[in-house]
Amino acid sequence: MTPVPGPHLTPEDLDAWLAGALAPAAQTHLAGCPACQERVDTEREIIALIEGLPLMSPAAGFTDRVMARVAVAQPLRVSTLELLRRRALASRRSMAVAASLLVLVAASMAASVIWTLGHQATLAALGGWLGTQAGQAAWLGLRWVASNFIEQPWFADVRTLAASPGRLGIAAALALVAYLSGVLALRRLLALPTQRVAHAAV
Amino acid sequence: MADTPEWVRLSDQEVVLAARAGREAAYRELIRRYERPIFALLFRMVRDRELAEDLAQETFIKALNAIESYRPEFKFSSWIFKIANNAAIDHLRRRELDTLSLDGSPHAETPEAMQATALQIGARQESPLDAVEAKELGGAIEAAIGRLRPEYRSCILLRHVEGRAYEEIAEILDLPLGTVKTYIHRARNELRLALAHLREA
Repeated sequence: MTPVPGPHLTPEDLDAWLAGALAPAAQTHLAGCPACQERVDTEREIIALIEGLPLMSPAAGFTDRVMARVAVAQPLRVSTLELLRRRALASRRSMAVAASLLVLVAASMAASVIWTLGHQATLAALGGWLGTQAGQAAWLGLRWVASNFIEQPWFADVRTLAASPGRLGIAAALALVAYLSGVLALRRLLALPTQRVAHAAV
Repeated sequence: MADTPEWVRLSDQEVVLAARAGREAAYRELIRRYERPIFALLFRMVRDRELAEDLAQETFIKALNAIESYRPEFKFSSWIFKIANNAAIDHLRRRELDTLSLDGSPHAETPEAMQATALQIGARQESPLDAVEAKELGGAIEAAIGRLRPEYRSCILLRHVEGRAYEEIAEILDLPLGTVKTYIHRARNELRLALAHLREA
């Protein structure tokens, strides 16, 4: 009996053979090896059987049953524009109102641009004055918060604590532990149920 | 846009974009494209027609209601097959199924229910003799697939019934590529052993 060259086909070789890309050395082996020939024939038959399984469809009306429980996406921009369009085109009167509003908006925008171009110095002065007022208000607010803080009865204890790095570290660690415990407790309380629904009722 | 001819030319990604823009016809097109493969996969996973239909509905409802969270860089088919496979695996984990019955659902209680849930084989049959032969072979392979481990079943169905690439199956099942290949080889090996008696006959 003539010895068959090379090793038997591996699962990867079978895949390559199915894809029509078997390496030449493996092809030589296959041509002379009855065991591998039977293996590839069986493989081909099994795959043909699987690929020949009958086509299947769900019962009639499947799409409607699904669509009855699907919320079609309504992008805000699309839905708002659609609503406006429908309302504006509902009657002659609504069309006239919509056109008037459009003219009013366009006219006021044009007037605003023209006025701005003609009063740039006034606008700059107004901007400067508003900036100064905002800065003063922020400074007063900060001073008010600081003086309130200093006047609190527990302020002296906080100062003492801040003077000792060891105590400060312990206090910070305790605060961190309390914060993390709170977060974990909230996560457990607010977790969504993970059990999935087995049957989607029609 | 009318319902069929124009939609057919669009890719899944384009149809999804239309769905996100609020086009109901796009939702219907996605269902039309995938109802049969999803239902067939689920039926062969759970081996019960009514249950497969419920799970298929659940799959589509879940996918379409979350269409805005779908990331277009992935294939839509992978996404929806993943949802369907998860639904089937979840179900199988909760319930040990009986062996496949070609005569109807193992859970059917009346002859009418058995008839209604029976596996429909026959679309490709030509004569009574062919029908018997096809039913015998088809039944044997269906039964053998039904006895595979669920992981092997998903892999073999996605590969040889749905024609998905190994890489896509790995993505759908969240498995390494090598594991997918191993599962498919093992599944084919088990099927070969299970059908040995028919081949010899």
